[in-house]
Amino acid sequence: MVNVEDLLFLIGYTLLIIIPLLLAVAYLTYVERKVIAAMQRRVGPNVVGWFGLLQPFADGLKLLHKETIIPTQANPFLFIVAPLLTFGLSLSAWAVIPFGPGMVISNINVGILYLFAISSLGVYGIIMAGWASNSKYSFLGALRSAAQMVSYEVSIGLVIVTILLSAGSLNLSEIVEAQQNIWFIIPHLPMAVIFSISALAETNRAPFDLPEAEAELVSGYNVEYSSMTFALFFLGEYANMILMSAIGSILFLGGWLPPLQIPPFTWVPGIVWFSLKMSFLLFVFLWVRATFPRYRYDQLMRLGWKVFLPFSLLWVILTAGVIVIL
Amino acid sequence: MTLSSSQFMSMPLKGNLEEYFNIFIFMAVAFGISLFLVLLSFWRGPKRPDAEKLSAYECGFEAFSDARLKFDVRFYLVAILFIIFDLEIAFLFPWAVSLKSIGLFGFFSMLLFLGTLGIGFVYEWRKGALEWE
Amino acid sequence: MTTTTLIFYILSGVLLSSAVMVVTTKNTVYGVLFLILAFFNAAGLFILAHAEFLAMILIVVYVGAVAVLFLFVVMMVNMETKKSQRMDRRYLLMGIFVGGVLVLELVVVFMSWNTSPEAFELIFAPQDGLSNTHALGALLYTHYALIFQAAGLILLIAMIGAIILTLRQRENVLKQKIGDQLARQAKDSVQMVDISPTSSFRNLESLDDSATPRGRTSRVS
Repeated sequence: MVNVEDLLFLIGYTLLIIIPLLLAVAYLTYVERKVIAAMQRRVGPNVVGWFGLLQPFADGLKLLHKETIIPTQANPFLFIVAPLLTFGLSLSAWAVIPFGPGMVISNINVGILYLFAISSLGVYGIIMAGWASNSKYSFLGALRSAAQMVSYEVSIGLVIVTILLSAGSLNLSEIVEAQQNIWFIIPHLPMAVIFSISALAETNRAPFDLPEAEAELVSGYNVEYSSMTFALFFLGEYANMILMSAIGSILFLGGWLPPLQIPPFTWVPGIVWFSLKMSFLLFVFLWVRATFPRYRYDQLMRLGWKVFLPFSLLWVILTAGVIVIL
Repeated sequence: MTLSSSQFMSMPLKGNLEEYFNIFIFMAVAFGISLFLVLLSFWRGPKRPDAEKLSAYECGFEAFSDARLKFDVRFYLVAILFIIFDLEIAFLFPWAVSLKSIGLFGFFSMLLFLGTLGIGFVYEWRKGALEWE
Repeated sequence: MTTTTLIFYILSGVLLSSAVMVVTTKNTVYGVLFLILAFFNAAGLFILAHAEFLAMILIVVYVGAVAVLFLFVVMMVNMETKKSQRMDRRYLLMGIFVGGVLVLELVVVFMSWNTSPEAFELIFAPQDGLSNTHALGALLYTHYALIFQAAGLILLIAMIGAIILTLRQRENVLKQKIGDQLARQAKDSVQMVDISPTSSFRNLESLDDSATPRGRTSRVS
């Protein structure tokens, strides 16, 4: 049996990851507003605290003190479970993310598959929400979202297969170690592009935010949600963005490794490099949102099935061919 | 005779199971926090329900039909195609990891497999199963 | 009783009871959700047997893909629970018959089942430093190549079958033809007209008709 002391330490480590993560999620909403404001030559939030730095907490407290509305037509159990599932899953994935050499809660052999599995479960929170709300907008939004996430899951899977071919391991730490000499973004640049676009679609971010298209579906599957249940969907989306940036930096940007293995770079601890890479990718997420208009649904499906799928399959075969011949 | 369950159970609890125990605890904490947040809002938030507030949103109208209506059959098609390609990817994972040890034969074995599925893919493309309008 | 044994009994207990719930629950959506719970417990059992790869693939494929399709289907069936509650006697007899045949077959198979003496040792196979993903990969694509190709053929049949069953062509829909859009030139759609300051609008109307944005297809050149 596991003794109590170990268990407490484990819970302590878990909180050591989850609490900074929650802070990061809160401040990502703030940074998003500031960055997009700057891109549109506005000021952004600047009232609560210095430079509006307390804005996320004000928002959180406000949502906490709102009424949780459960529509009469809804299925109350699933209605509450759906946001819990979305948010809980987006946090659970962090159990296998290595922040530095050995800095990981659970160093399993099939880490990347665990992440793939968790991201394939994300669809349930949305389907459940759409079905349980019993509202037409929610249901349509959920359907669209499910079909979209499922379509781009295929290309994410193929991207992962390419990385596996090069790294030869499913363990995330070993995937990072395999990039000691060269980051995978250099040989696999097209796959990195496909991954980042699929990540946008997978997290329902602009320009793939059709499921919550406010103009036609009045924000889709979460239209009936209020208070903390809404906040959990909202936070789940941002937590997933951070997760996707973490996966992106592990797969393509060498995780915690410095850009060059020479002294001035190697003095900086790995976790700093990891955070820097994640921040860069998050900035790209926001930049894309400020830049591109929303895709149309048929365009989205065509991009996923007719462009990404065949191309990444060919790239997998090409990579495998090169590896077998060498 | 099949293996008795007692033999199976006598296997030692190895290091790698502890890693999964860590994941289990992590998940428990993650879901615990989300449950805590929702319960907190139930405790702090007001509870003043009324019939209009609790009805489904529909542009000011009364909802005139159940929302769980029939939807386009193409969503099923996408789901089925996804299952097939997901299985294909499931087959690719162990192949990708062990490609170096199985060599050329393994490579061509997979090439044939992908070719088979490629026929299906071309078929669905030509049939227009990937068209959305 | 070791911890492993305890976990095994918890997982299999939940697995079996949720499997029973799948067939007995009246709400079909709950039925699918119980099925998902059963899959999770089965994945837990795989992990207990050190088959991590199978556990993850079970979740990715069955929970992440197959159960999503089930949920789609069940949602469309629209919860017509009232009608199906009363069980038809005809179905009951048929069900008992089919179930009986299955049980009989299972008994026959189980009686004639032989486990080779080495099998017990093979449970420990992943211990020699090789992860079980590697072990699978080393055998599946070479030693079992034929079975592997058969799996590919089954997937092909599934794909074609799904398309034949569900695909229907729609008429009168507008489609975006990217090729046509990109191939469009300015000279196909824009017409330059010299207008003398003295000419009247009446003369221009005939020109306007031929130079509308859709002029490329409607214009007679």
